[in-house]
This record gives sequence, structure tokens and C-alpha cells, in this order.
Amino acid sequence: MIYTLRKLASIAILSAMLFSCADDNDPTTTPISMDDDDYVPIPTSPVVLEMDNFPFDTLSEYNFFDGELKEQNPVLGVIPYEPISALFTDYAKKKRFIWMPSDVEATYAADTELIDMPVGTFLIKTFYYNNVQPDNNTRIIETRLMLKKNTGWEFADYVWNDDQTEATFDLNGSFTNVDFMENGTPKSTNYRIPSDAECLTCHKSQNNPIPIGVKPQNLNSMYDYVDGTKNQLQKLIDEGYLEDNLPATINTVVKWSDETQPIDLRVRSYIDINCAHCHQELSHCDYRPVRFAFNESSDETNIGICVDPDTEIPGMRNIVTPALKERSVMYYRMNSEAEEFRMPLLGRSIIHEEAVQMIGEWIDGLTNECD
Amino acid sequence: MKKITLLICLIASCFFTVAQTTVDCSLGAVNTTYCYTNDDLTSFVFVSSDGSDLVVTFNSGQVENEYDELIILDTNGSQIYNGYGNNGDLSGLTFQSSGDTITVSINSDFAINCTDNGYTQWDFDVSCATCANPSVTYNIVNDCDNSGGFFIDIDITDIGSATSLTVSDNQGSATQATAATILQFGPYTNSTDVIISIQNDQDINCTVNSGSITQVDCSEPPGTTFTTSTVSTSGSQRAAVDMNGDFLDDVVSITNSNINIFYQESSGGLSTSATNIVTTTADNIPSWSLAAADYDRNGYTDLLYGGQNGVTFMRANNNGTAFTEISGSQYVFSQRSNFVDLNQDGNLDAFVCHDVDPNVYYMNDGSGNLTFNQGGLGDDEAGGNYGSIWIDYDNDRDMDMFIAKCRGGATTININEMHENDGSGNFTEVASTLGLADPIQTWSSAWGDFDNDGDMDVFVGASSTANGTHKLMRNNGNSTFTDVTSTSGILPAFTNTGHENATYDFDNDGNLDIASNGSILFGNGDLTFTVHDNMLGITNGSFGDMNNDGFIDAILGTNLYTNDTNSNNWVKITTTGVASNINGIGARVELHTASGVQIRDVRSGEGFRYMSTLNTHFGIGTETEITNLIIYWPSGTIDNIMNPAINTHHIITEGQALSVEDETLFQNITIHPNPVGNLMNIDSPVNLIGKIATIFNIEGKRMMNLKLEENKIDVSSLRQGNYILRLESNGKVHTQKFIKQ
Repeated sequence: MIYTLRKLASIAILSAMLFSCADDNDPTTTPISMDDDDYVPIPTSPVVLEMDNFPFDTLSEYNFFDGELKEQNPVLGVIPYEPISALFTDYAKKKRFIWMPSDVEATYAADTELIDMPVGTFLIKTFYYNNVQPDNNTRIIETRLMLKKNTGWEFADYVWNDDQTEATFDLNGSFTNVDFMENGTPKSTNYRIPSDAECLTCHKSQNNPIPIGVKPQNLNSMYDYVDGTKNQLQKLIDEGYLEDNLPATINTVVKWSDETQPIDLRVRSYIDINCAHCHQELSHCDYRPVRFAFNESSDETNIGICVDPDTEIPGMRNIVTPALKERSVMYYRMNSEAEEFRMPLLGRSIIHEEAVQMIGEWIDGLTNECD
Repeated sequence: MKKITLLICLIASCFFTVAQTTVDCSLGAVNTTYCYTNDDLTSFVFVSSDGSDLVVTFNSGQVENEYDELIILDTNGSQIYNGYGNNGDLSGLTFQSSGDTITVSINSDFAINCTDNGYTQWDFDVSCATCANPSVTYNIVNDCDNSGGFFIDIDITDIGSATSLTVSDNQGSATQATAATILQFGPYTNSTDVIISIQNDQDINCTVNSGSITQVDCSEPPGTTFTTSTVSTSGSQRAAVDMNGDFLDDVVSITNSNINIFYQESSGGLSTSATNIVTTTADNIPSWSLAAADYDRNGYTDLLYGGQNGVTFMRANNNGTAFTEISGSQYVFSQRSNFVDLNQDGNLDAFVCHDVDPNVYYMNDGSGNLTFNQGGLGDDEAGGNYGSIWIDYDNDRDMDMFIAKCRGGATTININEMHENDGSGNFTEVASTLGLADPIQTWSSAWGDFDNDGDMDVFVGASSTANGTHKLMRNNGNSTFTDVTSTSGILPAFTNTGHENATYDFDNDGNLDIASNGSILFGNGDLTFTVHDNMLGITNGSFGDMNNDGFIDAILGTNLYTNDTNSNNWVKITTTGVASNINGIGARVELHTASGVQIRDVRSGEGFRYMSTLNTHFGIGTETEITNLIIYWPSGTIDNIMNPAINTHHIITEGQALSVEDETLFQNITIHPNPVGNLMNIDSPVNLIGKIATIFNIEGKRMMNLKLEENKIDVSSLRQGNYILRLESNGKVHTQKFIKQ
């Protein structure tokens, strides 16, 4: 059976415009009635949702984008978003989008937890590089999808062709070499396109697939949409994608690269999005002593300060040895490209120099006395 | 970086502490003690009174290994030494100048120093090189049973240029020696800091002093100790295994395009320089594990690289001088890897643990072609497979596999598994019925017969104690195991966690020991252990006999841990298969002495990351005779070698000492019906339960193997034809032909 659910996003946009002065929490604010006699065709989202046929062979079949596929111009209802601090994947740049069917919405659970997304939700994430050598052009590598089905989340991955005209389903895992300029510095990576088992290694709780970034703490920030700048959570509410019942304040991460922010918050924000998917309860490595989620990492022991590692590394002392980055397992592992030492375990093959420098500054500034 | 800094400082004459001392050649050595601090660039400059060369001798002292350097400069300013001694221990180092000046310097960085970290302070003598120093080593001799203290054995191996030496301690004893000798001083009370001084009576400049020597208390000393030295391995050191067919363990290190080998020389010990073999740039490198075996039977060892995204084989050519890369396209997050003959066709197959998917294996067609397989040997969809090890846990003469498992956020993926082989290459997971289905987060286990009762026990080493800690399980010999951790002496003394656990008899006392993340749990032969920490490098490394002295050494990175040995006897065996795989992997080796029976299984790949020797090693303590040595080959062949020499490395070729028919053992045995249908009945006046029955075809190829549970064998899997039934007990056999209908 093939059916297309049409997104009545225009209603939400319209209502947001009409009632923009109204109290967002006012329960009397209701959408325009559908059975209005003055029928006007309502623009509908052209995204194709066929849960029984997921995954399609090609990315273009989903109709997520308008015009040339490589331009990634989202169609109606496909909403871009960006976490405040992002996962590092060998300096790849990313475009992220969310789409939901018309008659359902996500609900808030907690600042630190994924919004509870309805069946039919697509998360779309494209990985690309600018300034790819020798031609200094843009190259899109892959577009990863997650679809929420009745049975839970499922993964798909689409690898882009050389002409950048189409991306084809492939979850077997592969490598591709990318030489690129990053801030004027030439860099090179043997970029890893993940297999489904690798997707699951990070994207899971117990053994159930889950997204990672779509949490209020990561999205409570302004974003420049085509039609103006807006708070990302408000945008989702306005689109009808998120129930309008958020708490007054949200404990929010900071942008790790924002040097005006306190360094401990920058560090905790970075390790939340880069490390906490494995280092929290019910995750891949929850048997290790550290807890890196943003709401847990303010505790010194959770973040590894003065904590002995389970796995000793020659020359290292604690996971975080105050004032001594050179004797800290966290710094060592983030500063290593060797597979058996480097962290995060997956998704990185070259060193994130700027983050390593920040972690080093943070450790060297710690004054705790270990027993 | 720091070395460059110092050089720049020297050139720029930037300020640092320099003390200059004259060494009066008529008065003898000048002693200096020093305890360095952070960012310390202190130099001690010594000048001889009469222009003689100078000798620096470190009695004791410590630097932070790999971070704080001891630097010695010659008269002309050139560098004599820049290093860390023996992993930071400077005692015993000596240097001589070419000229009247020598400089002793520290170059410490900003952290970790002698003053703040309780290091042994530097204690060194500088003397005029007018004579040759005596050569001396010191050994503590436990005297706990008598005086409650200790003796020191002073082993003077060379008196140097002296005609007589005065040997004294700092407790008021003195004696003379006129030739190489071993002197014993003491007894001393425990914790007494004893310093031995050895004075050349003819030349005051040739005095040598020990560092402080003491025995802290009367806890049991380790059965052996290790001396560290440096091997300049290049790349990731991964193996101690024979590569070139001389059966002596070599040291192998890997980069993505190099195989770097320190061959062991026939005269003993590793060659001083490495042989580097350039390879194609490997798709995968052995970040997670390396396994080694001669899977193409050409006499040269091949390698398996277990990488994070796949598996690469490096196949040695016919003289071992080059390797051909064979990389699979399949995604494998490799963990422990092994070579083993999975289908008992005489060809070595390869097994690789998968971290996040069902385990994989590569079947060898006998022409060296490997075919990828996944499924049937640990099929958890999310993997969790870390430490596979192949042993015959149920003594039915085939290889079973135990997997140490680990996984967070899980209740089933982390449960350890045992895959029992039915003798025909079919595997069944039986850990829960054995009592081995533990949730311990573990990356490897150490298997061995720790109580010498004829079956393999297991130490499951925790990588994290989040879901239970280390566990020692006794094999009851009846397919059950009993937790004996609480009486083993392992806990609470042993507190390490980590990836690496392996079994060897390090002190050759005939009782297997456990190496666990740098500690050795010395076995007492009764499932109790004495824990000694910091014996080896913190992740164990690769084990082998790198100097062919019959004692197991270890190599980790650039650090060679040479066994200091003791007077115990030993025997080593290289198993060379003929019908079986050429390395004899999977063979059960039984050693019979007056003390009893010891067993080993020949295996490729134990512990987590490293590859250790393919030779089988036994310590036999004070036994001076071996009654016999039985090898049960994977092909079914049984060799029984009578009275093999002790303290010898035996190369045993399959079939060289075939076990003889024993007329008395299985007298009056009959098979009926014959020809046999699906069920063979065996009539025997002696009890056959527990005996090993093997069926060969007429070409001698092993078709079935099982431990008898009744006097019947289900032979329905055999095709029509002529077969031979063999019954075996303690290396003696009875054979009988039969026909399958």
C-alpha cells in the first residue's frame, strides 16, 4: 500500500502569523477550522512517507528537497535545525532537517531527553565538505536518515554519486578519501561512511535505536530560517511539530567554540554531544565510571576528575588529572588517531585540534587536589 | 621537544644550575646524591685532578620514564647518553668520558619529579678511570623461616683490574675476595637499608656501591622476577612468535605498510637490529588484535590484522622475505582473533570476534584461499564479543571456544559464551549449563589447569567491576564449573582491571600462573594464587621465550621483560603437524612426571590484543625426568614420546612416535552389528564411559570424535564404506575395523 500523508504546515505558519501576539500557551488559541466554506487549496508537503517501503533505493524518492538535489533546499514541512554544539566527524559540515506527518506532534520530556517524536518522523542529516581539493569545490558525501516507525527508529544511509546528482542507499559501510581546506589548513581524511552496526553503536539506549541531538537543551537557540531568525524550539512549535508546553526555562548547553562562555560549560557541552551517547546509563560503555551527559557532568567524579581509569595507558594517571593534560586519559584519547586509543570510538579518524586545545586548557586550569 | 629545548639552552647559554667538582684521583670516587624537581635543568660537572678520564656509576636513582631525561655529556660537550635507564630506574648505569670532564644532567618537565613523587633519589659515584671496575650483581635471599630477615648474595662475576677486593656493607661486615665468587652477607632484619661497597684494594678509584637493598617483609617473594631492557621496535609491537621457521620466538611490530621483525638468533637473544619488510598499505592494521600462524603451510608464519573496520591477512612468501596483503571487504569491528582448524580438515581457518555484530570466520580451502563467513559462532546481533580463546574444556579432543563478553546498557549481550564442539565441527552454546554465563564486563580470560587435575580451569578477568569482578572457576571435570574465587587468594589483593589476561608458568614450578594487566598471580597448584603487582608492563604484552632459556619472557612496546630465571627445570615443545595443521594448533599436550600430569592446548591468540608464542612450554619444578609426553593431534593422531629430555626444546613432528596398540587395555572388545547400521554397539569387559572414540576412514582421515557416554555410537552421519574405530585411554589405543552399511 502506498499512501502519502500531506503536511498541513501552512496552517501552523498561518496561525503563527495571525496569532503571533497571542500568548503561546493560551489554550483558546485554535487552528483555523478545516471545514471552512471558503475553500482555498492548502499547500501540502510533498514528502513521500511509505513506511512499508523504507528505505527507498535513492534519496530523491523521498522528495525532501526542491530543485537540484545537491542544493538541499527543503520542501514545505522539511525544517532545518542545528544543535548548539555539534558532533565532530572529521570536520565534515552538516545540514540537518526534521519532518513529521501532518496530524501528529512531538512532546517535551525533559531538557536533557529527546523530544518524544511521533511515528512517521524523519530526521535527515547530510555530511559534506567545502573547499575540497584540488578544485576547492563542495562535495556531499552522504545523507543519513532516521525514520520513526511503530516498531521504533530505523536507519538508512544514502551515498552521493560523483556527479552529486543522486544518493543511493548503502548501509554496508565504506571509506572515501577527502582532501580539504579547513580554516586555510590542508587536511585529509579517509572518511568513514558507517554501516548499520556502526549507526547502532552510538544511536541506542539498551539496544534500541534512538536519535541523539534532538533534545531541548541542544535546540534552545536562535536559527536563521529563510523567513527570518527564530528560536528553534519555537519554530518546531509553530510548525505544529512540538507540543506547546515547554517549561519557562531550559537548561541549555553552550556553543563549545564560543570563547565568551565559561570553559567548564564549553567542555561539558562538547563532551555531551560527542561522548555522552556512549558514556551514560544504558549506553554502549556505561560500565566505565564516567558520565558525560550535560546534566551529569557538573559532578567532578562523573566527568573523570581524579578518577582512575579502568584501562591504564602508559604515562597517564587519572581520566582527568587536574593541571596535567599530558597525564590525562581524556586528553590523550582525544589527541590520538590510533584506533585502539582514540575517542570517540567511532565517527572520528583525525584529531579535532580546536577541541583538544580547549580540553587541554580546561584540564590545565583545574586546581583540584586528588587523593 | 624537550631535548631540543635543552640543546637550544646549551647553545644560548641560558641560565641553569651548574656545579663543578674536582675528582681527586688520589682520593677515589666522589659521591653525589640529588633529588630533582620540576623543570629542573641542573648539571653536575666533574673534572679529574690529573687529566684521567672519568667514570660515572649510578648506584641508585629514578627518573620519570619517557618524560624526564638523564643526560650525560662528554668532555667535548657531545652527548654520551640521553634516556631513562631501565624504564626510569637508573641503577647500574655507567658512563665513561673521553677526556678529563664529564657532565651529569637532569632535564625534567613541568610535572612529576623526585621530590614530590617519592622517587629514589640519584646516588652516583664519579671516579677516575685509572682501573677497571669489578662486575657485581646482588640478589636478596629470603631467610624468613630462620632469622625472619634476609641475606644478600653478592655475585662478583669479574674482579676487574684488582688483585683483591674488599667487600663491605654499611652494617659493619667486611670480607675480601681475590677472584670471581658469590659471597653471602647477612642475615639482616627486614627493612634494613643495606648498601654493599666493593673496593679495589689496589686502586681507590675502582669502588662500586650497590644502591639500597632491602626486603620489606616476609610476604612470599615472587617465583621469578623480570629485568627490563629496550628493544627498538618500530610501529605497534604486537607479537612474540616464530616468523622464519626456526621455532625461536621473534618480536613483530606493525605499521600500515611495514612488518618489523627482531629475529631471535640461534645463539640466543634477539638480533640487535630489526629486519623491516615493506608491505602494501594495509586496509586494516592490528589496532585491536593480531594473530599468527602458517595457514598456507609454507613454513613461514602469516599474520592476521584485526582492525576497527575489517580484517587483513598478510601471507608470507616462500622464504619469509615478503608478504602479500589479502583484505576482506566486509565490515568487521575486530576484537580478539585466532587461527584454528574449525572443520578439522587439516587447514587453519581464522576466527575474529566482532564488537558490534555476529562473529566472523574465514574458512581455508587448503590452497590458501580464505572464504568469509558470519554466523554460527556467537550470533548476538549487537556483538559484544571481545576475548575468544580456543580450548578443549571437556577433554573430548576437539577445540571449544570461550568468549569473554562486554557491553554496556545490556542484559544479554555481555553474557560470556562457551561454544562446545561436538567433534564434527558443529558448535553449541552451553555457557549457562556449565555455570560460565557470567555478566562480568570482560575483554579476555585466562585458561589453564591451575590445579593439575587434568582439565582446564578459567580466570575471567574483569575490565570493569560494574557488573561483577574477577572470577576464578574450577572445572569439575563433568561439564560443570564451581566459583572458587573466594578461596583463591586473588581477592581482595588483586585490584587491577584491564583487557589482558593470559596463562603461563613464569617460574617453571609446574603450577600455571596468570598474567593480568602487568601483575602476575603466581599459582600454587591448588587454585590458590599469590598476587604480585607491577611484574610486567601494564598491558602484559606478548609472551614467548626471547632468549631460548626455557623461561617465559614478555615484550610490550619497546620494553623487553626478560625472565630472571631460577633453578627450576622445564621443557618446550614445537608441534609440527602433518595430517593436522602445520602449527599443531588445537593439539592437546600432556606431560607426565612423577609429580603428576600437566596439560596444555596449543593455541593462536590468547589475551586480548597481542600474539604470543606458538611453542608449548612447561615448567616442571625440581623434577629431573619426564616419564612421557603425549600429543593428541587435531587429526586424531596420537604421539607418545617416552622420556624426553628436560631443559630441552623438542621439535615434534606429527606421527614420529605413534602410540602403540595396547592389547591389554581393551581386551575382548567387539562391535555389533558389523556391518553397522545407524547405531554401533560396543561390547567390552572394561568400562568405556569417558574414553575417547575416534572413527577414521580408510585413508586415515578423522571422521568423528567423541567422548563415550554409553557403549554405543551414533554413526548415522557416516557414508557407506570401511572405517576404523579407535578407542583411547591415556595415550594407549585399540583399533578395530568395521563396515558402515
